[in-house]
Amino acid sequence: MDRIYFNNCLTSKPAPEVVKITTEYMKNRYYFPENFNAMGTATSKNLVKAKKIIADSMGADSKEIHFTSGGTAANNLAIKGYLTANSHKGTHIICSVIDYPDILTNAAFFESSGFDVTYLQADNEGFIDLKQLKESIREDTILFMTTLGNHTVGTIQPLKEIREILDSAVQKITMHIDACEAYARIPLNVNELGIDLMSISAHKIHGPQGIGALYQRNGIKLGLVQHGVNRMDNLQTGGLNIASIAGFAKAVELAFDDLDANITKIRELSDYLLSKIESTIPNTLLNGPRGVKRAPHNINISFDYIEGEAIMMMMDMFGVSISTGSACASQGLKPNYVLMALGRNHEQSHSSMKFTFSRYNTIKEIDYTVEKLAEVVKELRSRSPLCN
Amino acid sequence: MQYSQKVLDHFMKPHNVGKLEHPDAEATEGSPACGDQISITLNIDPETKVIKDVKFQSYGCASNIATGSIITDMAMGKTIEEAKNITWKGAADELDGLPPVKMHCSVLAVDTLKKAIKKYEIEHGYAKAEKFSKQTIVEELKKVIYPGVGEDIVTLKMVKYVGFEDGIATIDVEIPKFDKYRDNVAEEIEEHLEAFDEIKEVKVTI
Repeated sequence: MDRIYFNNCLTSKPAPEVVKITTEYMKNRYYFPENFNAMGTATSKNLVKAKKIIADSMGADSKEIHFTSGGTAANNLAIKGYLTANSHKGTHIICSVIDYPDILTNAAFFESSGFDVTYLQADNEGFIDLKQLKESIREDTILFMTTLGNHTVGTIQPLKEIREILDSAVQKITMHIDACEAYARIPLNVNELGIDLMSISAHKIHGPQGIGALYQRNGIKLGLVQHGVNRMDNLQTGGLNIASIAGFAKAVELAFDDLDANITKIRELSDYLLSKIESTIPNTLLNGPRGVKRAPHNINISFDYIEGEAIMMMMDMFGVSISTGSACASQGLKPNYVLMALGRNHEQSHSSMKFTFSRYNTIKEIDYTVEKLAEVVKELRSRSPLCN
Repeated sequence: MQYSQKVLDHFMKPHNVGKLEHPDAEATEGSPACGDQISITLNIDPETKVIKDVKFQSYGCASNIATGSIITDMAMGKTIEEAKNITWKGAADELDGLPPVKMHCSVLAVDTLKKAIKKYEIEHGYAKAEKFSKQTIVEELKKVIYPGVGEDIVTLKMVKYVGFEDGIATIDVEIPKFDKYRDNVAEEIEEHLEAFDEIKEVKVTI
């Protein structure tokens, strides 16, 4: 059996159709746009087409889409661009303690530059405290930002309710959403949800790495975060990644060709894994919500008495890629901050395993994975002083 | 960062796993909250002081399990005097090296073995409990590994001040502001020093 991959939230395998079109662009259609010659004109047309595909997928207008070098670049363009261009209106920002590092590190950066930041708490399923949000709004609040489909536990924040609360303020509060996890995994319409800025990333939806996009609602002003030559529009300086843009558009086409069927398939897979683990392996704990309030591709579960890096390594030996929230596998040797904020203890965080699915996963892969996982958990528990 | 084949072999098929039924010496170090814990039990020949049997249990990562396996292999059949000479660097070498960020696993395993031996020696009158002093703190800080390079913070001259007065241990450590291991080093220092009955409070300044 080929390696089984459940780290699609980290990065996902490019679709064969994406590889094909990206290769074709690199070989034959590499030219930059906005020249009057045949190649430049063709590139311009293709870029317009790519923007339209992405805009249509979220109910936006093509002019509201900017390509970036990925999700982090899109988040930086949104946050830094918005705050530098709008600080005269206010200097208060709201986000939550469980947001993706792009949001938290930007918040910390602006905090050290004189902005005030309110970090909302979350409940034990990862839903941010809406009462606290309401109470946190001030006259100088200009930006609310959050992660949709939490990167650790998949919690889908109630954006409509959040928008209503933000709209209760006298002034306009801009809403920025990091949707790199949720995009193409739940239906997302920027107008229905009142989203002003939204980051998406290609490599999490079977597109190429190194390309993403920012949705910028018409009328929301952004400052430049990178000055340089202007190739396409005011916010996109420098050379364009033409081949990856084409691959990105193809990945979006494939994902949205039958979005409902894609979502249903991925949810069936994750539900199957969860029920199989819960019925086969004792002493487990699901982290995050159960059911439709959770992004369909995410299952995060803790295994009592053992440590996650050991589970991850042993499963890797069996050809299965999964990730863990254990401090031992983290960059700074710290337990997962999202799980800790949800009230999980250190042990539950250290023993947490995250499975993230794609449409390429199969029931057969899950059967094999749970069979091996049961063996691994049994073996590691037999070595643990905590259950012997 | 990757594990050596020997680490993976000991992780997948560890030696000497378990708990001796009637141990002559035992020790448990680390804690589940910190993500790693090792328990070691020993049978020691009272005449020859040879370690006749040794077993370990581990709650921890792959390198925690592998170091438990290798140090029990290294201690088996040795006298307690010989076993006391096992070092965390020696154990890591036996495993064909450990990633710097995992070196603390070797420290924990070797420290647990030495604590078990020490307890045995004290119980049988072969050694006296050491008098607690500032030097005890310095020696304990030599077990705190800076994960960036896999060396202890005393050898790396990161410890700038050690004080002990009225049960309060004051430690000043120098680590760059944006170093990702700052919190980890502070927590490790606290974990190591709070284990001493003589220390009521640990104040770490970075």
